[in-house]
Amino acid sequence: MPRTPWRTLALALAALALVPAALACSGDDDDSAAGDAQYMGAIVTPPIEKPDAVLMDENGRPFDLRKETEGYVTLLYVGYTHCPDICPTHLYEISEALKKLDPDIRKQIRVVFATADPERDTPEQLKQYLDTFDPDFIGLTGTRDLMDQFQVALGLQPATRTDLGGGNYAVNHAAYVMAFTKDNYAYTVYPSGMGQKEWLNDLPLLVKKGFRSE
Amino acid sequence: MNLFRTRVPFILMALVALVAALAAVACGGDDDDDEPAGAGQQFTLGDLTIVDPWVRSTTTDVTAAYMTIKSKGAADTLVSASSPIAGMVQLHDVITEGATSKMQEKPGGFPVPASGQVELKPGGYHIMLMDLEKQPKEGETVELTLKFEKAGEITITAPVKKAADSGADMNHDSHGSSSGTGSPTASSGMGSPTAGAGY
Repeated sequence: MPRTPWRTLALALAALALVPAALACSGDDDDSAAGDAQYMGAIVTPPIEKPDAVLMDENGRPFDLRKETEGYVTLLYVGYTHCPDICPTHLYEISEALKKLDPDIRKQIRVVFATADPERDTPEQLKQYLDTFDPDFIGLTGTRDLMDQFQVALGLQPATRTDLGGGNYAVNHAAYVMAFTKDNYAYTVYPSGMGQKEWLNDLPLLVKKGFRSE
Repeated sequence: MNLFRTRVPFILMALVALVAALAAVACGGDDDDDEPAGAGQQFTLGDLTIVDPWVRSTTTDVTAAYMTIKSKGAADTLVSASSPIAGMVQLHDVITEGATSKMQEKPGGFPVPASGQVELKPGGYHIMLMDLEKQPKEGETVELTLKFEKAGEITITAPVKKAADSGADMNHDSHGSSSGTGSPTASSGMGSPTAGAGY
C-alpha cells in the first residue's frame, strides 16, 4: 500500500476523530456536522491485521477466527470475565448499540471477546458472562501460550497480572475494542470512554463502506 | 446591516464559549446537578452527600460499586469501604498506558475536594468488591459501608444494575451516550490510541 500518503491521511483523520470524541464526552449532541464517512473511533496506523488463529469458543468448539468472521465487520475485544469495570462497560455499550441498529446492519456484525485470563475463563465461564450482554457474542479462550500469541498478533503486549492479595488478581489488558472491516483489517479502535453514540455512528459506516471507501 | 454582521459572531462566540464550558463541566464530572428527577438516591453524612450509588451485576466473584460523593464543606477522603457480601474490598483506579488498561489500588483512597465532588464511574475510580459470597443480580440491593478520613462511617444501600444507565431507563442519549465513560481525571482513556501511533 502507498505508505506515506496513507499515513498522513490517517493522522489527519485521527486528529479529526478526537474532536467528536471530546464533544461526546461533553454531552453535547451536535453531531449534525458529521458528514459522509466521519468515523468517531480512534484511527490506528498502521491498521491491525486480523490474526489467523484457531481458538476455542464459548461452547468448547474450535473457532477459526478468519473463517468464522469472513464477510463480517468484527468487533474484537481482549478482556476477562473477572474484570469489574472496563470490560462490562464496553460489552454493555456494544450490546445496547446493536439493539438499536437496523437489523440488516446488525446481522453483518460479529462480536468476539477473547480472554486475557484463560486460567479462569473456561468456555462455560465465558458463555455465562457473555449471555448477560448478548447471547450472540462469541467468547474465545485457549492455552496461556495461545492467548499470549494472539495478543501479540494484535499488536498488544501479552496481558500481565496485578496481584490484589488474597488470591485475587487483576489482568492488565487491551484498553480498546478493535473494529475489523470486511477486508480483515482494523483501522479504528474504541477506547474506554467511547460508547453507544460512537458505535451507532461508526458501525453502519464500517458495514457499508469499510474504511477505505471507494 | 453592520449590526448583524458584528452581532452574529458575538453570539456565536458566546455559544462556543458556553459549549466549551459545558464540555468542561461534563468532563469534570459535575454534570448531575440538573439531572431530571428519578433515581436521585442520596445519603448524607455531615457535609458529605453520597449520590446515586450502584453496584454492577456480575456472573463472577468480583464486581464494582460506583457513586458520586459531594462535599458542601471541607475536603475529605474516602479511605476504605466494606460490604457484607464481599470478603475483600479495595478502592481502585484505572490507568491507561498506551494500549493497556490497568486496574490498581488508589493509594490513600479517593479525595473529595472542599465544596466539590468526586465521581466514581466506569473507566475510572471504583470500589472493587472481591471474594463475593453471592453474585449481585439486577433488582437487588447491596449494603456498603464507606469510611471517610474526617466524616467517619456511613452505611448505604446501592441498587444492582447492569450499567449506569440501565434499570431506571434514563434517556441517556440526551447527555451524550457514553455514560459508561469518563474517568475522574478526564485525562486518561480517550485519545491515547492515536497518541501512541506505533502499535
